[in-house]
Amino acid sequence: MSFLKNVPPVVRVENLKKSYSDTQAVDDISFQIHRGEILGILGPNGSGKTTTIKSILGLITFDYGSIRVMGMDVTKSRHRMLWHVGAVLEGARNVYWHLSPEENLTYFAGIRGLSKGRISSRIDDLLQRLDLAEVRKKELRKFSSGMKQKVALASSLVHDPEILLLDEPTLGLDVETSSEVKKMLLDLAGNEGKTLLITSHDMSFVESICDRVLIIKEGRIISHETMESLRKKFSKKVYLIRTEREIPDACVAAISGICQVSFDDMEEGGCMLSMSMADVATLHRIMDELESAGVGMVDLKVVESNLEDIFLDLVRRIWQ
Amino acid sequence: MAIATLMLTEARMTLWEMKRYMFNTVASMVIMYLIFLGLFWGVKSIAGQTVDATSLDSMVIGYVLWMSSLFVLQGMSNTVLQESQLGTLEQLYLSPMRTESIFFARGVLGVVINFFFVTLLLYLVMLTTGRYHSVNLPYFYGVLLVTLLSLEGIGFMMAGIGLIHKRVNAVNGILQFGLIGLMLLPVYPFRAYSLLPFVAGARTINMHIVADASFPLWWYLYIALNSLVYLSIGIIVFKLFEKRARKLNKLGQY
Repeated sequence: MSFLKNVPPVVRVENLKKSYSDTQAVDDISFQIHRGEILGILGPNGSGKTTTIKSILGLITFDYGSIRVMGMDVTKSRHRMLWHVGAVLEGARNVYWHLSPEENLTYFAGIRGLSKGRISSRIDDLLQRLDLAEVRKKELRKFSSGMKQKVALASSLVHDPEILLLDEPTLGLDVETSSEVKKMLLDLAGNEGKTLLITSHDMSFVESICDRVLIIKEGRIISHETMESLRKKFSKKVYLIRTEREIPDACVAAISGICQVSFDDMEEGGCMLSMSMADVATLHRIMDELESAGVGMVDLKVVESNLEDIFLDLVRRIWQ
Repeated sequence: MAIATLMLTEARMTLWEMKRYMFNTVASMVIMYLIFLGLFWGVKSIAGQTVDATSLDSMVIGYVLWMSSLFVLQGMSNTVLQESQLGTLEQLYLSPMRTESIFFARGVLGVVINFFFVTLLLYLVMLTTGRYHSVNLPYFYGVLLVTLLSLEGIGFMMAGIGLIHKRVNAVNGILQFGLIGLMLLPVYPFRAYSLLPFVAGARTINMHIVADASFPLWWYLYIALNSLVYLSIGIIVFKLFEKRARKLNKLGQY
């Protein structure tokens, strides 16, 4: 994405700081998002993800730093900026449950000054795309949380914003709905050029949808990489070796001296060794040790660590 | 244009809610009517012949005014607290229109719809009690609408406090019963009580309809000024609390 360096970012956050009494919620966070990009923010509970999103939307006054959206200073031109932004912050709770999807969309368009006549084809289109057309006149109260979440997403898109901020968009969704939402978001970024900022606990969702990932902990950025470089930098190969029988203690000690290995006894007999290492030579040394102890190998698997492993590893390292 | 759309949107929302909660709409109307009958016959039977006709007429109009004032006074803070509870308050804050415009539009629309029910209640009450008065409705609603703006101001203050403290029922309760007493205060010619919100307008309407009293133009201009001052103060207080709520991240919390 180096070509993006010359294009002004759609969202620019610089040195953002926010504290609540004695807690530093966000501590000097800076990042940018370009048009059509999907940026994911990952972090444990209370790491400052929601505070960051709410600061961008001007729902929280931050203590220090600056935020510009479409070139507009959030603190000075918040109302003008909001024409370009849509957000879902509390998932299914962001919409009126006593209204129907159509009524919700009409209402949220109306409070943005968009009349029903002007917006009706957009409402039809959104309901169609999110598979809500059949239930457009039914009260949301009767819907599953996944469907309510889809109505919330549609409501945030009703004024056709260029930027969409989603706080935990897949929380409480079943696999099918989560995949529908994913498809829609990829379409919004890929085909309509919308810019997305997503916070989520769903690592596989973030991994499959985001171009870049920001990992924050205790209000600080601990990693800010594209998905590709994140994998390149931090991904490890995990080797899994299954043996035909239990490993003698002397051999366990010898292998443990080579690298960090976990040994798990299998119910059906034998043992499972799992280890992550950078080079194949170390693997060969372990295999030699097994051979010299007379322990045969039944299976050898290599597994690439996913975003969840990388995230946990990074957080653990910072913790230590 | 955007303001017109906003008003229409809020009107639509109110009608959707009334339709969806039809039972509640009808039930509150019936309860308002029954409470009044209880009060009216209660006063009449206790006071017997000593209560004069003017007092009973004044009670009819006063009750209707009180009902309208309650609706406005509690409407604003209830709206904010309910939106906060539902989780939709922050979505309202994501509108490019100013949030106070949304709440104000909702408040005014609510008053207009409330006028419809109040008219129904007024005629129903007059019919049942036999204390019939030919009410000049344009005068009644014109002055009442302007007068109620002062209570919209108080409503904004309560809503602002609600953003931070989340529960304002206790204060609302005191205000709603305090209003009954305030509405009986002498306010014309001008005196200290006339500075209170709502009181001057409410008393003027009551005296005009019941006793056919007439007032000079400056007095009506004063009522309008009183309302504007309270409305402005209310909005300023609301904005101050809103600023504080943003600082403490309390907009989305309940």
